[in-house]
Amino acid sequence: MDAFKLMKELRANYEQEGYYIPKETGLNLIESTEQNGAGISAKCRDAQVEDLWGLSSFFGYSTQTFVLAVNLLDRFLALMRVQPKHLSCVGLSCLHLAAQRSAPDATLSSGHELIRIGQRRFTASDLSRMEKIVAEKLHFTSSAVTPLTFLHLYHQVALGQSPSRKEVLSLEKLEAQLKACLRCMSFSKAKPSVLALALLRHEIKAIQSEDMWEMTCHVQRHLKIADAELQCWAERVARCLSDYASPRCSRPNHKKLLWVVSRRTAQNLQSSSCSVPDLPTIPEGGWDPSQSEDSSEDLSSGEESLSSSLEGEGAYFPLHLRRRR
Amino acid sequence: MSAISASEKVDGFTRKSMRKAQKQRKSQGSSQFRTQSALVELSPLPQLKDVPSTEQQELFTQKLQQCCMLFDFMDSVIDLKSKEIKRATLNELVEYVSTNRGVLVETAYPEITSMICTNIFRTLPPSDNPDFDPEEDEPTLEASWPHIQLVYEFLLRFLENPDFQPSIAKRYIDQKFVLQLLELFDSEDPRERDFLKTILHRIYGKFLGLRAFIRKQINNIFLRFIYETDHFNGVAELLEILGSIINGFALPLKAEHKQFLMKVLIPMHTAKGLALFHAQLAYCVVQFLEKDPALTEPVIRGLLKFWPKTCSQKEVMYLGEIEEILDVIEPTQFKKIEEPLFKQISRCVANPHFQVAERALYFWNNEYILSLIEENIDQVLPIMFGSLYRISKEHWNPTIISLVYNVLKTLMEMNSTLFDELTASYKADRQREKKKEQEREELWEKLDELQISHSGLAHSNSHMLHNANANNNNVNNNNNRGGGGPPDAAQNEDMEVDAPAPPVPAEGPPGLY
Repeated sequence: MDAFKLMKELRANYEQEGYYIPKETGLNLIESTEQNGAGISAKCRDAQVEDLWGLSSFFGYSTQTFVLAVNLLDRFLALMRVQPKHLSCVGLSCLHLAAQRSAPDATLSSGHELIRIGQRRFTASDLSRMEKIVAEKLHFTSSAVTPLTFLHLYHQVALGQSPSRKEVLSLEKLEAQLKACLRCMSFSKAKPSVLALALLRHEIKAIQSEDMWEMTCHVQRHLKIADAELQCWAERVARCLSDYASPRCSRPNHKKLLWVVSRRTAQNLQSSSCSVPDLPTIPEGGWDPSQSEDSSEDLSSGEESLSSSLEGEGAYFPLHLRRRR
Repeated sequence: MSAISASEKVDGFTRKSMRKAQKQRKSQGSSQFRTQSALVELSPLPQLKDVPSTEQQELFTQKLQQCCMLFDFMDSVIDLKSKEIKRATLNELVEYVSTNRGVLVETAYPEITSMICTNIFRTLPPSDNPDFDPEEDEPTLEASWPHIQLVYEFLLRFLENPDFQPSIAKRYIDQKFVLQLLELFDSEDPRERDFLKTILHRIYGKFLGLRAFIRKQINNIFLRFIYETDHFNGVAELLEILGSIINGFALPLKAEHKQFLMKVLIPMHTAKGLALFHAQLAYCVVQFLEKDPALTEPVIRGLLKFWPKTCSQKEVMYLGEIEEILDVIEPTQFKKIEEPLFKQISRCVANPHFQVAERALYFWNNEYILSLIEENIDQVLPIMFGSLYRISKEHWNPTIISLVYNVLKTLMEMNSTLFDELTASYKADRQREKKKEQEREELWEKLDELQISHSGLAHSNSHMLHNANANNNNVNNNNNRGGGGPPDAAQNEDMEVDAPAPPVPAEGPPGLY
C-alpha cells in the first residue's frame, strides 16, 4: 500500500475508533471496585484476560483474535454490570466470537473444546447464549478498530520505502508487547491510535532509528494526536514493558488448575505415596537399639571397620590361612 | 521354561488362558517328603507350667528334641495325632520363651538352634508352575506351614528375648546358618518370606560380626538375579531389610556402599519383574541420596542410561522414581542433571502411551519440582517447549491435552517473555521447514521437466516416424510420472543439480547423445 493510501486508511480508522473504546465511566467503576466486592474488580478482569491469553496461545489463535476478544470484553464490562460468577462465561464467549470472526476458515475449536480445556463449569449452550447477548449489546458484526489495526498500519508506514527493515522492526515483537500491555486494565482507557503509536515509538527508541522516528512524528501530526497524551501513555507503556521483560518470574497460583488424570494413573499415584517401611533402622557400626548391654561383646565399633576390610574377604579364607597373614 | 514362540509373546492372551485351563487344583508344595522308616508316634509330655522350676530346663530340652521329628503334610490324613502333639508343643515353646525370663541358659542354645535348623532348613522344591507369574498367579504355599510357622515364630521370640546373648549364640548362628537362611528367601510362600525378613533383620542388628558377610551374600544373590537367573522370589524382602540398613549408614558413606548402589541397585532396575519390588528399590535409592546428595548425578545418569525403551509399564515406574528423587534433590545437584533429565521427560511427555505421558505431565503438579523449574526456567523451558507445543496439537488423548494446557499455562506464567520468544522461534522454524519442503518439491518438478525435454530432444534427431512415436512415448511418460509425484527426497538437502546438456536444436550434430 503506498504512502498516500496508508495515510487515508489511518485517517479513516482514526475517525472510527471512538465507537470501539469502552465507556470510560464503566471502566472507572471497575477500577474502583474492590477485590471480592459485589462487582468485577480490575484484578478479576486482568486475571480473565490472562486466561484468555493462555487459551488463545494454546489454540494458536492470531493476535487479531486475542486483541479483538479483549476489546469486546472491555466494552461489555464497561457497559453492563456483570456478576463475578459470570465473568468467565463472558470472557470465553468474547474469545469464541472473536475467533469465529477473525479466522473463520482456520482450525476452529468448537465451544466444547474451549470449555473443556479452559476448565469452565458451564455448558456449550450457555456459551452460545452469552455470545448472542454480547454481540447484541455491542452491535458487533465482524470486526472492530483496535490498537492492532493501528499497529499494523503504523508498521507499514514506518517501514516506508524499505521493506528490508522488517528484521529491525519486528511486527511479532510489537504484537507480543501489545498483548502484554492489554493484560493490564489501565490500557483499556487509551485510544487505540495513541496506544499503538506509543508502543511503536518505544520500540523505535530502543532500536534507535532516526528516520523511523521521523515517520512516527509525521503520523502524529497527520492524525493530530496531542503531545501530552502521547507522552502520558508512552510512560505507562515503558513501565509495563519493563515489567514484562524483567527476568523475574512470578510463580503462578497453580492450585487454580484442575489436574485430571486417568483412573489407572490416579491409583498408581496413591499406592506409591504410602511406602513407609515397617522395619526399624539399623545404625551402622552400632548396637541394635533393642539389644541390652552386653559386656562380653567388647569389639564394638572396631569390629565394624575390621569386618568391612577383613571379613569381607576373610570369610572365604579358611581360618588357618587367615592366621598366617 | 517352556518354549514360547514370538507370536505367543506378542499375543498376550494365549499363555494366560492356557494356564488358567490347566490349573485345576490349588497347589501345595513341600520338600518334606520324609517317610519315617518306623512311624514313631509322639508321646505327649507334661506341660511346662505344671512342672516345678528345677525340672523345667530338662523338660524344655526334651520338648525341643521331640520337635525335631518331621511330618509329611502332603498326605493330609496320616499321623494326625502326632502332628497335633507337635503343634501344641511348638505353641507352648513359643509362649515359654516369650513370657519367662532365665530360660536361655547356655546349654539351651545348641538345642534350640538344632531344632530350628532341622525344621526350616530344607531344599526348596522346584516350582510346580514353571511359568509362574508373580503378579497373576497364586503362589505355591508351603504345605507344612502349620508347623513351620510356629518354628519361625519361636526363632523370632528367641532372638528378641531380653536374655538373648549374641556372644553365646554366635557359635551356632554362624555364616552357614545365615547362608541357609538366605537360600530360603527364594520360597514362593509370602508368609515364609515375611518371617525370614524380620528374622534376618534381627540377626543383622544383633550380630555385628556377621554384617559384612550378610551384605556380601545379598550382593551375590542380587547379582545372580540380575545377570544370570532373572528369578528370585525374595528380592522385595531383602530390599526392605537393606532399606533399614541404608537408613542407618554412618556418614561419610563407605566406598563399599557406594559401589553397591552403582553396581547392584541401579542395574537392578533392568530386571524384567521390576514391578514386584520397585517400591522397595526406589526407597533404597532415595535413602542413599538423602545420605549423600553428591550421588544424585551418577544415580540419575544411571537411570537415564537404563531408561526402558519398549516397556511402558516400566517407564511409568521410572517416572515415579524420578519424582521421588526430585522431591529430595538439592538445588545445586538439580542444576547438574537438569538438561539430560528434562530431555528424557520431554520425550516421555510426547509418548503416545497415555499413562507415560500423564505421569510425566503430572510432575508439574508437584510444588517443589515447580520451584526448581522456576529457578532454572531458562534451561528447562527451551527443552520442554517443542514437544509440549507439538503434542498440544497432535496427541490423541483429550486428557493429555488438558494436562498439556495446564503445563503450558504454568510455564507461560513463569516467564512470559521467554515463552513468547520460543513460540515465535518455533513458528519460524516450522515455516522454514515448510519452505524447504516446498523448495524440494519444486526442485523435483523442475528435474522432471528437464528430464522430459532432454529425452524429447534425444529422439528429435531420428527419423520422423520415430519422432512421432517418441512424442507419444513422452506424453505417456509424462502422464505416468504425473500420477506418481516426486520421490521422497528426504536425504540430500544441498543436492547438486547437474545441468543436463543444453537443448540442441534439431539441426545440430547428429547422434551424440
